Parts: sequence; structure tokens; C-alpha cells
Amino acid sequence: MQTTVPDLSTITNEIWTAMFGIGVEPADDGADHARGERVVTGVVQLTGDAEGAVTVQCSDRLARRATATMFAVDVTEVSDEDLSDCIGELANMTGGNVKSALDGHNELSLPSVTVGRDYEVTVRGSRVVQRRAFDAAGDTLVVTLLTRDRA
Amino acid sequence: MKILVVDDSKAMRAIVKRSLASLERFSGAEILEAADGRQALETCEQEAPDLVISDWNMPEMSGIELLQALGGEGGRPTFGFVTSESTPEMHERARASGAAFLVSKPFTPESLGGALDGAV
Repeated sequence: MQTTVPDLSTITNEIWTAMFGIGVEPADDGADHARGERVVTGVVQLTGDAEGAVTVQCSDRLARRATATMFAVDVTEVSDEDLSDCIGELANMTGGNVKSALDGHNELSLPSVTVGRDYEVTVRGSRVVQRRAFDAAGDTLVVTLLTRDRA
Repeated sequence: MKILVVDDSKAMRAIVKRSLASLERFSGAEILEAADGRQALETCEQEAPDLVISDWNMPEMSGIELLQALGGEGGRPTFGFVTSESTPEMHERARASGAAFLVSKPFTPESLGGALDGAV
């Protein structure tokens, strides 16, 4: 497993500031989305010397704001397809920056996106090594790095 | 000038196009789009762009495979990467395959413009 642990706070802040003009403030590590809230999750998997995944989870409202900014349209014009594209790219960017900070040779999967309420994201055989919660202009954003220990 | 923007994310293609439009020297450029390397290869054959700005990690055909498929320096358009992954190994592979630049996401119009200034 890698000896370097990427700093999710720095990576997340850089991405959200550059891409959306939304500054993210650290929240309590235990902060999470409210029960029943519609949440959008982007996931990319890491394979190679490091095995694991990076997840980016935000409220539907925050995801729509971010998507509207990316496409330069009004938030009311955001389609589900565009929302999935945006959050997938966000997971890809976050995972790509995590990968760049890891030691060794690693590959990044294409992103996948899930939307729903009251669900849990697990990556088989992996554990959370870093979880960061943020306040993004009043909405909760959670970024997590999971790694799978080698047998 | 004809510029081909290649990315499997429609959102990212929109951002690259907006960034190019904000750079005065590219304001009159014709911008083409492709969603993966294979589509881009076909577009290159049909449209002969002057510049290709490509993501690295895409379905069907990756950006580095696209660059290699475009062949040697002779008839190949100027080629650069805009990618979320930026390891020294990738920089070396990109350079060895003939890429003119590699810009990491997230990027700004200024950082993209700076990379393009040295390439085209």
C-alpha cells in the first residue's frame, strides 16, 4: 500500500474553487447528509500498487448548482444526464489528483454515479482511510478515500 | 484554426471550449468535439484539425492511444492533454509520444492559455 496519504482537503478545495467558484469549508468529520436527503455519489476505483476507491458525495441541490456552473446554464435547466456527467467528472478529477499523490504505478477507472436516498456506498474488502466533510456554501459535501489491504 | 476537444465528459468539453473562447488568439477558432479517442481519430481523418486537446482516461480509446494512432510528427496535429491525472510517468509517456503539453485538471483559462502559448 502507498506510503503517501493524499490530502483530500487541499485537493477538494482546489477543485471546487477552480471549477465552480465555490469555496469549501471543513465541517465536523462526522457531518453527513440528512436522513431522506437526495444524495449524488461519484465513484472512481484505483487499481495497481494502491487498491481502493475515491467517492464524492453531495446533496442533489449542490450537485445541480455545480452542474449549472459547469454548463453555464440556469440551475432549472440541469438535466439528470448532465448532473451525472458533472459529478462523474468531479469524481474523476478528485481521484486523478489522489492518484497523482500516491506512490507507485496506479490506474484509475472511469467514474460511476449513483443518485438516491438513504444508501451506503461500500467497496468490497476496503476500509476508509480518510473521510473529509465540508460545508460548500451551506450544503454538505463528503469526500472519502478507501483502500483495500493486500492479502 | 480548427481545434478538436476530446473528453468523455460533456461538461469538461464545455469548460475547455469556454476557456478557449476566453483566449483572444483562439476567439475565431472552429471548435470540434469528440467523446472518446476513437471518435476523435475519425474526426481527425475527416476534418484535419490544427490542434487536438484531449483527456487521457476515456472509454473505447484513451488519449495516449489516440496520440499514438495519429502517427509521427509529419501530418499529425499539435496535440496536448488536459487530464485529472498528472504523474511524472504520464508526463514522460506524453512527451515521448509527441505531446506538446499536459495540463492538469482543475485548470484555469490562464493555465490552459499558458500551455498553448508554448505549443501553437
